Amino acid sequence: MPRRSSLPVTFVVPTLVILLILSMVPTLYAIVIALQNRELSSADYSYVWFSNFYDLFSDRRFLNAVWVSVKWEIVTVAATMTVAIGLGVLMFEVASPRLRNIYCLLFIIPVLLPRVSAAFVWKFAYHPLYGIATYPYRLLTGGMIFDPLSKPATALFAVASVDVWQWGLFFAVIVLKLLETLPRQPIEAARLDHARSWQIHAYVTLPMLKAPLVSLMFVKMIESLRSFDLIYVMTRGGPGVATETLDMYAFSQGFIESGKVSYASAMAVLMMVATVITFTMLWKRVQA
Amino acid sequence: MSAIVCSHVDKSYGATSVIRDLNLSIEEHEFVVFLGPSGCGKSTLLRMLAGLEDISGGEISIGGTVVNDLDPGDRGVAMVFQNYALYPHMTIFDNIAFGLKRQNVPKAEIRQRVGAVSTTLGLDPYLDRKPAELSGGQQQRVAIARAMIKTPKVFLFDEPLSNLDAKLRNHMRVEIARLHQSLNTTTVYVTHDQLEAMTLADRIVLLRDGRIEQIGSPAEIYERPGNLFVAGFIGTPNMNFIDVTIGRDGDAWTLTNAGTVFTISGERFRLQQGERAVLGIRPPDLVAASPGASGNLLEGTADLIEFHGNDALVTFCLGGKEISALVPSRACPAIRADVRYGFDESSLHLFDAQSGMSLRRQ
Ligand SMILES: Nc1ncnc2c1ncn2[C@@H]1O[C@H](COP(=O)(O)OP(=O)(O)OP(=O)(O)O)[C@@H](O)[C@H]1O
Ligand SMILES: [Mg+2]
Repeated sequence: MPRRSSLPVTFVVPTLVILLILSMVPTLYAIVIALQNRELSSADYSYVWFSNFYDLFSDRRFLNAVWVSVKWEIVTVAATMTVAIGLGVLMFEVASPRLRNIYCLLFIIPVLLPRVSAAFVWKFAYHPLYGIATYPYRLLTGGMIFDPLSKPATALFAVASVDVWQWGLFFAVIVLKLLETLPRQPIEAARLDHARSWQIHAYVTLPMLKAPLVSLMFVKMIESLRSFDLIYVMTRGGPGVATETLDMYAFSQGFIESGKVSYASAMAVLMMVATVITFTMLWKRVQA
Repeated sequence: MSAIVCSHVDKSYGATSVIRDLNLSIEEHEFVVFLGPSGCGKSTLLRMLAGLEDISGGEISIGGTVVNDLDPGDRGVAMVFQNYALYPHMTIFDNIAFGLKRQNVPKAEIRQRVGAVSTTLGLDPYLDRKPAELSGGQQQRVAIARAMIKTPKVFLFDEPLSNLDAKLRNHMRVEIARLHQSLNTTTVYVTHDQLEAMTLADRIVLLRDGRIEQIGSPAEIYERPGNLFVAGFIGTPNMNFIDVTIGRDGDAWTLTNAGTVFTISGERFRLQQGERAVLGIRPPDLVAASPGASGNLLEGTADLIEFHGNDALVTFCLGGKEISALVPSRACPAIRADVRYGFDESSLHLFDAQSGMSLRRQ
């Protein structure tokens, strides 16, 4: 009966086509541009094929950006998960149910702030003369100046701490709620089995929560890839190139410094390929 | 020396009092069963022994040490939970070995002890599996193994068999009885299953609303229930109760209920003329009366007959109350037939109508 089977197709096909166009066209276009030598300053271009990619690997600033991106990813994901699990377990162990609710409410607020607002709030907090985050340092050293955002050694961590402030606290709430859903009996059995509080969590509750915690980590890994706005507001990749991640570098190559759109596109394409491969591999490993 | 002593133990959650002024002492090697209706505080009391629940008042000592403020791990108790409470992500071996690992027992000794326990409980083929890959009965055996391996001073069981089907329950009950025979560890066992209580217990502690109603051996509790609640709670099918007024007839005592008069010698009871009492008689103690018999008869029309296999439960009405008699199936009357049952005075129970206490002389 061809009439019947054509009905679902009629509804599904247009949506699929739109979705495909929306997702595939920009991607394909980016790939095409990456193979050309377009610049913002002139309209003519030609195909240079892989020479953009070839250039990238001898570009020290690009290699630095890769390294900064990897550092950013590792630092933010590790710190977020550590803070989330640490705070979640701490709340679970010591806070009364009422206090927990209050903490949960407080801990959700940072993540509700738009990134850019959070970035501005903290940028001011890190201000060497007036910021409250640097106030303890001024107090202890009798007014010496410390500007974490303008020191290459500390800038990345200062920006990462804003990210952790937003996501670590929020994930702590999720970890607490996960712990609260666990059955009580295995925990009680562990107490009877001579396990201390930290051992109960290390050996019983957290392993029981392995699957949701791994999912949380993946969410954070993907989220950490989109930190452009945070870094842009706080340091613009500086000082020097200390916090210049791949997306920052691509942006400045494409639109700020030289207008080398094709070069920036090549970077974006590489980043996409690397991300897809890395995540697929990680996901497969976790599933196994 | 007693293994466990509870003196004046109280437990309350906020304003609700769950255990009230409970005094109990359990001897070493004894198998004690806490029995009682749902919500009477059996689990709460057991969890207080284990240290999983704070003690609101009074004192609990285990093996001569007051344990009120001791951590669960330091009390020398091991507990088996109703829903097994195994660690789901660990293998059976690791489940059993967990407690020993936390006490830093050497690896070789752990392997040897786990091997011994798993052989005793027939768990050898499953040591590498996860709990989810075992049946309910096997999981409960793992839970018992996990408790056993710690060689505790006291075993605590909280309804360990209630998640199992009837057949497996019988099997595991026998295994637990065997285990107690061979290990001889003091055991406190919570159940609401009378059969488990009767077959396993050295002594039964019958609880109601956080209070002890009676403590005694299974035979004592069955044959000499101390009050109406115990009499009604213990024994299936349930004991028959008939309201009577006590009277005197020469040397004998009479128990009158709306036209039916029972005459007894009453030596075993403390009776007073004119008092109201409750007569209790267990269904198996009612025997069909021969056609010529007279006196002390319960008569009625059989209106329900339940076939139990060897026996049948005949229910009839007497003075507006349902009375049941457990009779051999082959002597079972037809439905709507007139039935007459007599009883022996020695199987009679009498309780004060007001206080519910037994009128039996001590
Ligand atoms: N955390 C709690 N807060 C308030 N009341 C509680 C709490 N835990 C138990 N109770 C109350 O204490 C009483 C005894 O509970 P417990 O679990 O000891 O009963 P139980 O005898 O084990 O019953 P069951 O046979 O159904 O398991 C119940 O009335 C219950 O409502
Ligand atoms: Mg219970």
